[in-house]
Amino acid sequence: MRRVLAFLCVSSFLCAGLVLSRRVSADDIAERAKKLHFSSIVLDTHDDTTQRFFSKNYDIGKRNPDGHVDIPRMREGGMNGIFFSIWIDGRIMGPPAVQKALDQIDAVHENVRKYSKDLVLCRTAGEVQAAHEQGKIAALIGVEGGHMIGNDIRVLRMFGDLGVRYMTLTHFYNDEWADSSTDKPAHHGLTDFGKDVVREMNRQGIMVDISHVSDKTFYDALEISKAPLLASHSSCRALCNHVRDMSDDMIKALAAKGGVIQINYERSFIDQAYKDASEKLSGGVVAQFDQFKKECGDDQECFQKKMAEQEKQAIADGRLPHVSWERIVEHIDHAVKLVGADHVGLGSDFDGADMPDGMEDCSKLPKITEALARKGYSDDDIRKILGGNTLRVLEQTEKVSRELQAQ
Amino acid sequence: MRCGEMRVEMLRTILAAGVFVSAGVFLAAAVTEDDMSARAKKLHFSSLVVDTHDDTTQRFLDGKFDLGVRSDTGSIDIPRMKEGGLGAVFFAIWIPSKITGPEAVNRALTQIDAVREQVRNHPKDLVLATTAAEVREARQQGKIAALMGVEGGHMINSNLGVLRSYAALGVRYMTLTHSGNDEWADSSTDKAVHNGLTDFGKDVIREMNRLGVTVDISHVSDKTFYDALEVSKAPLLASHSSCRAICGAARNMTDQMIKDLAAKGGVIQINYHIGFLSQEFRDAEKAKPELEKEIQAEINKRCGDNEACQLVEGDRVVREYVVAGKLPRVDYTRIIEHIDHAVKLVGAEHVGLGSDFDGAMMPFGMEDASKLPKITEALLQKGYSEGDVQKILGENTLRVLTEVERVSRSLNGGK
Repeated sequence: MRRVLAFLCVSSFLCAGLVLSRRVSADDIAERAKKLHFSSIVLDTHDDTTQRFFSKNYDIGKRNPDGHVDIPRMREGGMNGIFFSIWIDGRIMGPPAVQKALDQIDAVHENVRKYSKDLVLCRTAGEVQAAHEQGKIAALIGVEGGHMIGNDIRVLRMFGDLGVRYMTLTHFYNDEWADSSTDKPAHHGLTDFGKDVVREMNRQGIMVDISHVSDKTFYDALEISKAPLLASHSSCRALCNHVRDMSDDMIKALAAKGGVIQINYERSFIDQAYKDASEKLSGGVVAQFDQFKKECGDDQECFQKKMAEQEKQAIADGRLPHVSWERIVEHIDHAVKLVGADHVGLGSDFDGADMPDGMEDCSKLPKITEALARKGYSDDDIRKILGGNTLRVLEQTEKVSRELQAQ
Repeated sequence: MRCGEMRVEMLRTILAAGVFVSAGVFLAAAVTEDDMSARAKKLHFSSLVVDTHDDTTQRFLDGKFDLGVRSDTGSIDIPRMKEGGLGAVFFAIWIPSKITGPEAVNRALTQIDAVREQVRNHPKDLVLATTAAEVREARQQGKIAALMGVEGGHMINSNLGVLRSYAALGVRYMTLTHSGNDEWADSSTDKAVHNGLTDFGKDVIREMNRLGVTVDISHVSDKTFYDALEVSKAPLLASHSSCRAICGAARNMTDQMIKDLAAKGGVIQINYHIGFLSQEFRDAEKAKPELEKEIQAEINKRCGDNEACQLVEGDRVVREYVVAGKLPRVDYTRIIEHIDHAVKLVGAEHVGLGSDFDGAMMPFGMEDASKLPKITEALLQKGYSEGDVQKILGENTLRVLTEVERVSRSLNGGK
């Protein structure tokens, strides 16, 4: 855009002056944004990088030619806090699900141990602050799907003791006690046991994550939980009408109880045209997911590769539209206008979703800060969005846990 | 030990109504609470008493059991631990060897949770400890240190990640097998199939060393013991085994094994199970195998398939048979005999206490944790120095833990 304007102006002194003056102020903002970004806690609440730990070709300590997250690119993008997602297919249940979840938690622990100069496992907001002060990247853990507790609250507690700090109540499919947004309702929201799960999460200081769940499950969780909720990776339905996103009413209700919506960068969650075209092409996210799952089985690398290839091809031949990273900022801005800057954060879905153009990996994150600064956001508000709000929810959750355990 | 094995143990042991020859001798040596010397009391209650094997965890799974309340069954609860001056206890995480795979992992997790919940629910009396220093700190705060040991390598599902998760949850020893072989180690009470430890089994030991999880060789075959002894960089623990020279159970250790264990800094923690303490009892069991069926039928009648109940009632039913004269009486002084045998063999630095409370049949006079001061009294009467008694009561175990921690630190690059 800027290049076109410059070209048009080559012959005109008037224009030249205009561009020059714009550039000076633009540089000021860029400078301020850069400084702000790299001095802030930038905490991303959803990264599927955990799956890559099981590939021989992936090393989080080195710059990788593919994917979205590794330590060098986190450093480059100023991303100094990350929730590694523990995820397995929602149709795996019972003890095998527990075993696989443990394997992934262990993989996070082991990678943190391997790269202890850069990474430190954090369980509390205070520990995230301390990691930041030491110049380290805070590694946190979220379990993406209640099916992994094997329908057993005791397993949930053990996950908590192993450092899990949020649990998404479902993934794509209903679990034994909660309905998913992308499955046929079977429980009418949360079952009684599901409500007990939420209560126990409160007691253990595990944040209740309502991304992926059905609207009814969300409202049930909101009613039961004594701590604020997190939507670890969901965007705004008002801008892109996807069931994985939140309606304005839901965002308002979430915020009214102190919660935060962490904007997801997945193209089909942030761009209506893309979502429509994608549904026509492949039947939508879940259908596409199932297709690749069928082709690749447990081979996550194959899965990611196929997904990226198909998207690339479909965009190249025009079957899918381009989506700009600026859509992310639009979603942030929509939510901020709706409920204020205290209730919005970042939940990229890196390494688990299709990133929009311009947000190819986590090294691009400073662009979000700059875009918000250009929109006139204050430094304080930007810091909240980058990570402060998430830390507040974590802190609140810890406080509720202490109170409940003292009873 | 526990039910499944207890039945086997009983089969071999049960009966011989007439074998009471030695009972009187032991009675004479027995100490009653009244004549407990002031010196013994003082020493016992100022010492850190550590018990490395208690199956009470099974009782936690029964939602009604509360460790904080004095129970008229079983051997362990907070009031009786306090009364007996028990300062630290390893709660065993145990499921039968035949349960394997993810199911075993899931069930082990629920037991780790059960221990942690008991600690959470009794914060004034209990504190979870994972290091020797934390055990001492608990003592200073007037609390009982709760530790965890996984009794059987089958619970890691041949997966080092699961072992690491257990360690992260606070598990501080793992018994390499239970009464059946697992995928990578032979048990003393199963037919050998691995010739000791497999290559993976050796990797398990190395990872335990790195993690600071003590290698427990109770239950394992003699060859597995020697393999573990060779591979481990840290001293080993026999968390609940007695001396084979006195009672020829495969679960006990030969004199040579005890010597080899001690030579590398390890400790044998004497098990109080009467079938491991007394050859007479074992012989009696063997002589009348039909009694096993009777006893099992009685336990089933009382408990159904409730495992915790079976453990506790097993002890009670056998006791009833002893009182009725159908089985020989085994006195608690047998524990002292085993301790003394091991001490004479390798010195007081290598012997400790691994009761098997709530998982085995206790001898007369050692019905529960409240009776522990009698061991101190008996050792003093035998002329043991106070320093040696303290070592046996707990200091030796703490030394092994400290050494295991040191090895772990050094394997992790001094971090």
